[in-house]
Amino acid sequence: MIGASASPLVLQSVGITPFELSLFVFVLITAVLTALFTDVLASIVIFAAYSLGLSIIYTFYHAPDVGLTEAAIGAGITTVFLLLTIAKTSRPTSDDRFDSINWPAVGICTVFVLVVGSTLSAFPAVGDPGSPILTNADVTGYYLQTAYDETGAENAVTAVLAAYRGFDTFGEAIVVFAAGIASLLVLGREVFTT
Amino acid sequence: MSTDRDDTDGVARQRPMYTESQVIMTTVKTVIPFVLTYGLFITFHGTGSPGGGFQGGALIASVVLMIAFAFGIESTRQSLANRLVVGLGTVGVLIFAGIALVPMALGGNFLEYTKYYPVLGSALGLKKYEFVKYGMEAVEIGGIAFIVAGVLMGLFFILAAGVTPPAADESAGAAPLDEVTATEDQEDD
Repeated sequence: MIGASASPLVLQSVGITPFELSLFVFVLITAVLTALFTDVLASIVIFAAYSLGLSIIYTFYHAPDVGLTEAAIGAGITTVFLLLTIAKTSRPTSDDRFDSINWPAVGICTVFVLVVGSTLSAFPAVGDPGSPILTNADVTGYYLQTAYDETGAENAVTAVLAAYRGFDTFGEAIVVFAAGIASLLVLGREVFTT
Repeated sequence: MSTDRDDTDGVARQRPMYTESQVIMTTVKTVIPFVLTYGLFITFHGTGSPGGGFQGGALIASVVLMIAFAFGIESTRQSLANRLVVGLGTVGVLIFAGIALVPMALGGNFLEYTKYYPVLGSALGLKKYEFVKYGMEAVEIGGIAFIVAGVLMGLFFILAAGVTPPAADESAGAAPLDEVTATEDQEDD
């Protein structure tokens, strides 16, 4: 690890801090509670908290673009849309706080988590200076080195989204537009407002 | 306003859609200018700092959502023309597609911003790489932010309206007769 100090991109020490650990526990608990609550309103509020925790994690790991999107769309607008949806539907009359647990579903989820979790050991530790993304950075390094000279954008993420991968972004924008049209078709209306 | 929906299907816990609250209205009035400014900053400064058209457009749409929550969805819907909501999304797609397709007409690739340089370079006094920067900003602001803001506003109002057609909704409510005819007149043009 002596060569690590020579690398220009040394991040925090390898390992997990108590702050990260508490964030992960928070996200895990809110995710499980979202599935367990009987009251849909409580589920939606906890789901918003889950998104907020996730956006803090993204920001903490130096992905502010993703964190902003998660906070605005996940915690904000999705919550509003879900609240509107339950205002239009009837709520269950059951007085139980928690839903009964569907054990076959728990079994499938456990198998899935185990399969995905078995690949965890192949990942480098967070901030590991020996990770391939820093030592063998053909693609990442190209963007980080040339994005400013070629596009004049200080934010390399925007340079990738709007210039290098602009065709993908065009497709995504069209998908958003199509979602608006699809909602009109599904709900059988011709206008959004009056 | 409290009789926004009469068909509660016997569910006693159903609350009215809109409750006028001095606290919420004052909070929203205070917060809105800052959220709108932040949304515009995120949109316009997408190439220099985190953010971009998608996040900024969502923030700008959330301003309308907050106004609707504070002052009532129905009254906000009536003051927001359908032409504006649809226009935002459609104009966004046209601007994005236009900026992307003109370089192909000039013999380049899709979204090849530098193809604008031989045509507009001397007229605007910009260097070649600056066309990429301002082209990206034009796509972020005029394309993505418009589409996202328009579609999110539209999704909000159409979700709030539900599946019932608007004409039946109006006649079911206790709206005065002249109001009903006024909205019908608006729909005609």
